[in-house]
Formats: sequence, C-alpha cells, structure tokens
Amino acid sequence: MRFCSLVFIFLAAASSGHAATITVRNESGNALAQVMVSRSPVEKIALDLSDDGYPPNAVSNQAATTVTRFTDTEGVVRFNDVPEPVVYRARAQGYVDVTFTRADDDVVLKKMTDDQLVASYPSNVWLSQMTFGGDLELKKRFELNCAFCHQQASLFMRNERTVEQWLGVFERMNGYGARLPVDDQEKIAELLQEEYRSLREHPQEVPPPRQWETHLADIEMTEWPIGDGFSQMHDFLLHPNGNVYVGDNLFDRIYEVNPDTGQYTVYKVPHPEDARVGGILGNRFTVFPKMNNYMGVHSFAYSRKDGHIFVTPSMQQALVEFDPDTKEFSTHWMPEGFYPHTIRIDDKDRVWFTLAVSSQVVMFDRSEKEFHFYDLPGRSFKERFIINSLPMIFWMDPENRPIPDPDRKGTGLPMPYGIDIASDGIVWATRLYANDIARIDPEKNEVTMIDFPYQGPRRLRVDADDNVWIVAFQDSLLVKYEPDRRQFTAYELPVINEIPYSLNVDKKRGRVWVTGNQSDTLLSFDIATENWKVYPLPRQRFFTRDIEIAESDGAVYTTNSHFPTWQSEGGQPTLLRIAPIEVEVPVETEH
Amino acid sequence: MWHRCWLILTGIIFAGSAAADDGWRYYGGDQGGRHYSDVSQIDRENISELEVAWIFRSGDVEAFGDVMENTSGQSTPILLPEAAGESLVYCTPFNRIIALNPDSGTLRWQFDPEIDRGGDRPFRCRGVSYAEELRVATGSHCRHRIYSATHDRHLWAVDAVDGTPCAGFGEKGSVPLFGEEGYVPGDVSTSSAPVVANGVIVVGSSVVDFARLKTPRGTVNAYDSFSGALLWQFDPLPGISSSGGANVWAPMSVDEKHGLVYLPTSAPSPDYYGVRRPGDNLYANSVVAVELASGKVRWHFQHVRHDLWDYDSPAQPILFNWTREGEDVPALAQLTKQGFVFVFNRLTGEPLWEITEQPVPPSLIDGEQTAATQPKPVAPPQLLDPNLTPAQAWGLTAWDRNDCARQIRELVNLGNFTPLSEQLTLMFPGSLGGANWGGGALLGDTGILLVNVNNVPFSGRLIPVRDDVSSAQEKQEHPGAGQRMRVTMQGSGYAVDIGALQSPLGIPCNKPPWGKVVAVDLFRGTIDWEAPLGSVHELGPMNSPFQINLGTPNLGGGIATAGGLFFIGATMDRLVRAYDTASGEVVWDFELPVDATATPMTYVYKGRQYVIINAGGHQMFKRGYGDYLFAFALADKK
Repeated sequence: MRFCSLVFIFLAAASSGHAATITVRNESGNALAQVMVSRSPVEKIALDLSDDGYPPNAVSNQAATTVTRFTDTEGVVRFNDVPEPVVYRARAQGYVDVTFTRADDDVVLKKMTDDQLVASYPSNVWLSQMTFGGDLELKKRFELNCAFCHQQASLFMRNERTVEQWLGVFERMNGYGARLPVDDQEKIAELLQEEYRSLREHPQEVPPPRQWETHLADIEMTEWPIGDGFSQMHDFLLHPNGNVYVGDNLFDRIYEVNPDTGQYTVYKVPHPEDARVGGILGNRFTVFPKMNNYMGVHSFAYSRKDGHIFVTPSMQQALVEFDPDTKEFSTHWMPEGFYPHTIRIDDKDRVWFTLAVSSQVVMFDRSEKEFHFYDLPGRSFKERFIINSLPMIFWMDPENRPIPDPDRKGTGLPMPYGIDIASDGIVWATRLYANDIARIDPEKNEVTMIDFPYQGPRRLRVDADDNVWIVAFQDSLLVKYEPDRRQFTAYELPVINEIPYSLNVDKKRGRVWVTGNQSDTLLSFDIATENWKVYPLPRQRFFTRDIEIAESDGAVYTTNSHFPTWQSEGGQPTLLRIAPIEVEVPVETEH
Repeated sequence: MWHRCWLILTGIIFAGSAAADDGWRYYGGDQGGRHYSDVSQIDRENISELEVAWIFRSGDVEAFGDVMENTSGQSTPILLPEAAGESLVYCTPFNRIIALNPDSGTLRWQFDPEIDRGGDRPFRCRGVSYAEELRVATGSHCRHRIYSATHDRHLWAVDAVDGTPCAGFGEKGSVPLFGEEGYVPGDVSTSSAPVVANGVIVVGSSVVDFARLKTPRGTVNAYDSFSGALLWQFDPLPGISSSGGANVWAPMSVDEKHGLVYLPTSAPSPDYYGVRRPGDNLYANSVVAVELASGKVRWHFQHVRHDLWDYDSPAQPILFNWTREGEDVPALAQLTKQGFVFVFNRLTGEPLWEITEQPVPPSLIDGEQTAATQPKPVAPPQLLDPNLTPAQAWGLTAWDRNDCARQIRELVNLGNFTPLSEQLTLMFPGSLGGANWGGGALLGDTGILLVNVNNVPFSGRLIPVRDDVSSAQEKQEHPGAGQRMRVTMQGSGYAVDIGALQSPLGIPCNKPPWGKVVAVDLFRGTIDWEAPLGSVHELGPMNSPFQINLGTPNLGGGIATAGGLFFIGATMDRLVRAYDTASGEVVWDFELPVDATATPMTYVYKGRQYVIINAGGHQMFKRGYGDYLFAFALADKK
C-alpha cells in the first residue's frame, strides 16, 4: 500500500506540475497555522458552452480545479503537482486575504481592523444575537422559512431596510416558494430592522466564530466548478463507477464529474414536448433570464443491482432512470403524487422517495414497474382537505392557481422530506413542517408516525446500527433516534446558531457529517466519542444541501448550492471534495 | 514653480472667504453643495403669505423659437457679494449670462457668448460660478469674475460688474475646452457650472451617452482663473483606450480649506455594453477627490464597477460636518441613481457607514464579464425599493393592473444591477434614478438630508443589429416621458431599447408615489419620512381641476432653510412647493407657467428674503418650455 502511494506520488509529481511549499507568517514574522491556502489555475480553460451558456448534451469539458490546503503548526503548506501558472489565495481568521502567484517567498498576512474583523464573521454568529424580541418561536419560524436558500444575517442581509422594504422582500420570497406566515410578517419586518440596526451599532456583542483547528492541516479540499451563476447544484451521487453525478436543479442537467481527471460530461434530462418551464408546479421564477427546469432534477440514488441512477424530478409526477453506461434516460410516470423529493433504494432494489407536497412516500417496484403509495396522515381536517384538493389545484393553470396563504403550522404542507432505509428494510422519512417521522414497514405494509420532539426534521440518515440521525433545522440540533429504545438524543452543534439542512453517515468510520450552511462549514460528529470536528469551506455563502462519502477513504463530497448561486462568493457553483491527505514522502528521497 | 507658489498663496487667502452669509454665492448654496440657507425669515408660520415678488423673462423664447423644444431651464442663480455688484446672476440654456437686480428682477447686464447651436444635443446650463481674482487690482475690470462653460465647449470669464469679457483670460475672455480636433457639435457639451477655488477653475463635460462604442473621453480640465492657462488634466479612464466618457457632468464640490475638488464621474461608453472595456473601468462611476493644486488623486470610491446601467454619479457631492457619537469628521455624502447614500470622511475616503459588497447577477451577453459584487452602504437604506413583482403591479383598474402584472411577469428581474440581455429586463431604478442632478439638501447641522427621488420603473433590452449605423431618429440620451427609445451603440453589434414600464393607460406599473421627497437621517442611517413629490393632474388625457399627489418623475433639486422649509420644483405639474422639514407636509405651493426643472435658491437682500426658481420646462418631459425666473417673497408690508 505504501509502495503504491509512493509510486502514485512519483507519477503525479512527474506528470506536469511541480511541488510548492508556502510559509505564511503574520506581520511580526510568526508562523501562522490553519491558514487556508487555495490555488487555482490562472488561464481559463476553453469550455464548450454552446447550449444556452451550458455544455451541450454528452459533450465533455475540463473543469478548472481549485485545490485548498491549510498550513501546519509551522505555518507551512505544501502542494504537489502544481500546474503553471496558478494564483494562490491565503485566508485566515482575523487576517486580510492575500493573493499571490509565486510560492517562493514567505507570505505575510496583515491583521484585520476591528471593523473588518467583525464584518468577516460568518452569518451564524451574527444571527445568534438576533433575539426577535425574546420570541424564540418567532425566530424559529423565520429560520424555517427564510434560511433554506440563503444565509441570514450575512453582511448584505444586515443592510438597513425600511419595514416596507422588508415586507416587499417577504412577498417576493413567498412568491418564489417560501412560506413565511402572513401573521408574522409585519412583526418580523420590524424586528429585522430594529435588531440588525442594533447589531450594527454594537458589533462588539457579536461573538467570534469557532476557531479553525489543527486537524485541518491533514485534509485537502478540491473544487470543480460546474454550471454558472444561474445554476443550482442540488443533490448528487457518488457512484461506484468513480464518477460523481450532480444535478442542476434549474436546468435539468446531470453533470457526470470524474474526480480523478476533473473532466465532466453533461447529460440533459429529457422532458415531454408539451412540458412547460416549472413543470406542473408552474414557473415561480419567471423573472430569471434563463430557467429550464421542466423536470426539476432533485435527488439521486443508484441501484446496487445494475448501477442505474434514479432521479426525482420535482416538477413532474414521475421518476427518472439513467443508465450511466449507455447514457440513456427513461421516465416512469406516476398516476398521482406531487413533488418527488429525496430518494433512496433498498436492498431489494425497490426505489423509495418522498412526495413533499402530497404528503406521501412512494415505492417504485422495478420488476413490476409499478408505484405503491403510502399516504402520510394529515394533521387536521383542514390539512386533509387541502391535500385531497391538490389534484384539483394542480389541474388549474399555474398562472391562475390560488396563492397559498401560509399559517404558522404550515397547514396543508406537512412536507415529507428526508428518507433512508435501514438494514432491516424499514423505511424512515421525516416531515419538515409536521415535526414527525414516518416509519414504514414494507413487509407489513404499515405506516407509523412518531412525534419528533424537536423542530424542523429535514433530512435523515441511518447509521450502521440502524439508528436514525436527523437534523433539526430550526432547533439547530443533530438528533439520534434509536428505534429499539424509541429514544431521541439531541446533540448540540459545535457552532452556534447553525441551521442544519442535511447530513450523511460514514458507516464505516462511525461519523455523521452535517451541513453548516450559516457558518460556511461542514461538521463532522464522531458517534463513538461524541466529539465534533469543524471544516471551514473555501467560499463564503457555501450553502450545501447534500453530502456524499467515499467508502474507501472517507472523502466527503458536497456542492455549493446557494440560491441564487451568484450570491455565493465568486458566483460559481462547485462540486467540493474534502479528502484526507495521504502521508506523502518527498519524491526526491526515492531517487 | 512660481505658479505653484501662487496657487498655495491664493489657497491660503481664499481659505478664509468661504464663510456663510445671507447670500447664495455658489450653485449649490455653498462650495459643498449643501443646498442650505440659514435664513429663516420665511418659515412654517408665515409661508402662506408667500407671493410673487417679481418675474423676469430672459427673452430666449422670443429669440430662439422652436429650438426651445430642445432645451431645459435648469439654472440656479447665484447672488454676488456687494463688492462684486450684488447682482443675481444666472445663465439661460443657450449660455447667455444675465445679471439682475435682486429685489426687482430688472436687468443690469447680459452677455451672450453666441454659442454654436449645431448638433442634436439638448441645451441646458445649470449655473455659473463667481470668484474674486486677487491678482487683479481692487476696483479694476475683472477683479470680480463670472465663469461659465458653454454648450459649445468654451470657458468664459466675464466681469461680474458689467458682464464684459475679461481680456486677459484666454483669448478675449475665453479658452476652448476642446483639443486640436476642434468642436464637434453633438459630441461633447457642458451642463453644470465650473467650480473655482484657490485660483483654479475646474471644468467637467457632458459627453454623448451611448451612441458609440468609444465616445470622446471625459477628461476634466483645470485652468488658471486669472489667465485661463491649462494647469492640469484628470483622465477618468487611465489605461483604458477602448472606451470614452466617464465624464463629470454633475456639479462638483470643493473643499477649499483642504485644497480638494470632488469629481462625480459618469459611466464609460457605451452605457449598456461593456465587452470591449473589461474590468472595473476605474475611475468611471466614482467620486474622486483630486488635489486642486496638482490634479493628483487623493482618494476615490467607485460606486458601480463595470457599469452596464448608465448609473452615472449624478449628484453634487455634499460636504458637511459629521458629528456622531463624539466624532467630528469632515464628511462627504454621495447620492446615486441607484438610490444609495454613501458617506465618507472626505479627506481620506474612509466610509463612515460601512460599505458591503453585494453579489449581483451575471450577464448573458457573450463576452460580458460583470463585476461579481457591487458596493452598497449598510445604511442609510436604499431610497427606493428596486424590486417589483407581478403581485405588486399597480393600476387604476383591474384591467391595467393585470396588464402591468403580465408585463412584469415577462421581464427578467433579479433586483439591483441586473444586466440587460436580449430579453426585456426590469430597470428599476433606471437611468433617471433614484437621485439625479438635483442632489440633496442638508438641513443645517442636523444630519437630515432631504432628497427628491424618482420612483418609476423602466424596461430595456439589447437588440442585435446588423446595420451598425444609427438612424436619424436615434438621437435621444434618455427616453422621454411615456416613450421607448432605441439607440444603436455603434461598434457593439447591439442597439439598446429602453422605455417606461407602464400600463396601456400610460401609468407606471409600480405603486405610487412615482416621485417623492425622502428625509434621511445621515447620522442614524435611517429614513425619517417620505412624502409624494408631484401631482399627476396634468398627465392624464385631460387635466384634473385638483391635484392628485401620486408623485411624478422629477428633475432639479430642492433647498432647505433655517425656517424649517424645503423648497422644490422639479415635478411634472408646474408647481413649486414648500415642505415642512419636520413632518414632510406640503405647506405651500404655487403654479408656474411651465415646469420648474431647476433647483431654487434663496437670499436676503435689503432685509427681505427671496426664493428664486427658474421655470423653463425640460425637453425630456415634453410639457412645454419657457424662459421665466420667478422670485417669491413675503408680502412687502412697507
């Protein structure tokens, strides 16, 4: 194994680039540890973007890869196989970014001023000081409805706005699909104005973010830019064939990325000729200059039987199947159900996914090519009535449908969300607005609803012991549910006021990975020791919705999925991998 | 060397001469454009007794006839000090300089530079400047001078007492502002007054907006106020050869004590297409602090990077004293068309309200590299809401409201700084602003800034064109009221098509007010009040007998007084109004013969306060023209 590594390193070093060693110091000449150093190619790689600014179907392009590493305790960071020319960016907490092109000399970082320092803090620490007049429930409703696309309390959210301007923002966002309760809007607008102003006037009250730690020197982050500022890289899949399949939710495209080479190929999900933008949900984003979500690529799972990839198209009553060998798509149309959401496949090759709008879980039997629907119960007569009325509502022309008037409970939209399957075949699913969990026993055809004692169960995953891990979105918690004991255990996140969207479990290593969307981090929880590690991400507003883990080395993948994407730092969506750095023996010693 | 010493010496001498008095010696009230008078004879209590004191007509209408349709009366007079004759001096759109008796409005003298009236560009003159030239003996001709930059690009110096040209200045009293290429009618003209301080005259220009990929460069020139000799030039686009413009057409400000002139620069050419001018295009769309003596840049702030929206710096930088939480800082406030108010330490450029970087959408035009972020002050809030959804469509009836909702639904609309594409795109605010050249009025030392704001949406798109030559109909720089405008940007492969976003009834598609006065508390970073500015009673198919104060587009500015009043015309209703500065209530108005698209001024002369406003109409509003100067005062009880 060690020999193989050495050979690989030798080959890599001999291939095209050279090694670079960079030392970072402060103005006093002291070495700076945990400095994030990113290198990117200077020269633009020519891309074929001839299909409305995107790669045409089945055309391959080469991504301009960015690699990020952190300095060690000596302030040193090393890169292998550095192509020429490159530009480096050094970023450290409390210091002003520096960019440079030569690795020869020491890099000196200047301390930020007090104003720069507090402005550089991630959103979560600012948001932590927003009390909403002491009404914590109001704050949670705000977070539930306003923090699933954007970071709140970021530096441009903190801009002074009039109450009327805030109300205009809410109206616009609810038009895009948010559900901020009408009864809360006036109060929240007033509080946002008042408390953002107070924070600006008393920035000393904002606590510093969690310090970056020494374990960062052991990892490498690689980013492959794909799509553009109008894309939304939603969920994705790490396939056994070595490729990563990323869905551009807004452009019905699947990016097949080869992480070994950085080459990627785009496959366009076909749609019926008479389909319209926005599918049966209607186009809520007519104001966007381009949007091709006829299907709405959402979530991915692959069959362990034949490697076929199954994709939920949120904007249609369908399930999409993609053969990664032949690159052929097939669409399985459903007779009912709305908004195919998160998808998983069980050991019997049955495809399970949530239907977020019609409050169902559906199983697609591949052998019979039939859908089996599990209706999750409504919370009230009104909710049952609304759900039963959905076929009629969706029969109406999207432009003439009644606009939802959301209440505080999200009545009418319990929203089945995350889903996963235990080794015993039990299917688990969350309902975001209903604060409960569905346990589905396929063999008994039995559905049991379990109250979730926290708020905002978004996505869930099952670990190697069949315990269910759930992120409690607006409660800022990671929660474990032990089915045998019927017991919930909550774990505080290692960063304050994080609003966790998604998670995944590294079953082999016993780690739970959680997205840190407000703090620009990924969070890693060791199940055995209950210790956390925090990984800062290389771009600000690095909003992530999915995590995949490579079984072989524990490398973690995620995508930059802020909406809109142009608001993330650099305005470029990327696929990101965090991988452990192999122990590298200098190549020269082998000669 | 001797010349530099003289400038320093005159700087020291002049530094003590900027004290406030009861007059209005500069275009913006003072050198810092505060639009404020500490006169309080007319106040909230007696405003109802305000009446016309006199009316002067320049004679332009009789002399120039139909050409007047291509003019706008934008001039704000200045009142000369006693030693300079104590005349009220202003300019007409054809750059005639007129001196009047301040109490009667009778003519004392006039000077006609007889400008070249060729070309299609509109005629306008916002004002003239005065300075005492200490290198001329007291009592001699041209010791007191009026400086005027003309439409046909000449800088004139005339005697303030008799209006005759100053023989020792340039050639027979004028210097050409163009180079060896000569004056090209239609390319470059002048609109705002030059500024004069410390023996230096600084002159900007008005450059044709977007007819060509590369228009003339908006170089700022500085001249010796005595001789007219060129002292220095400021290149607003250093290192950029593929573009032009970035000129300084808005009024400039001067901090005489610190020897700085503040240049509000405009967009580079062409306004809506930047493929051939990659990068930020510095110093376009900036406020640039330049040393008066040398032309050296002290600091700059670019409020739009790589402009694709015609977001010129439209307003005079406002110089004031920042006194907040124990801080006492010489400050500058810059209003923008985007509706932002940026506040700086005017000596260093350090922001006094934090400026954030706002991510903005990319362009869909091939090769166009937009800036990833644009600056936005954390406070005060944007003076208008730049978002407009179908649900926010407004109309008098369900029919026109629905039509507006349909139009908005079909627009590309991603908020601030959405670049134009080949699809129809919301432009809100459009090139009209937000704020515009009327600037703002600062209420004494209170930190309250009163700003007239346009609040009407436009839509626009880029249209690929084969024939890259503009037609004779494509001469507009901004769409007129209710019109669409199409101009080929020669060399770009595109024409730009822009028009008001309005219903079939001709009503803006957003909720009124469509023009407003906003009272901004600069120290707290908040908005104190907003009030509609303008009545639409004359904008329908037939005039209404009563005012309908839904606000109108507005051009021109307002002034604040120690009497607690804010005087402003600017609207499309022929009215001049006075607002109570505390409440925003309109406490007085008067109907003029034509729209007053100018900034008023006020002074006390022989113990009586006068408020003066130019009523000349505006070629863009297409509502008639005139050549009036109105003076208001309290009834003379003698």
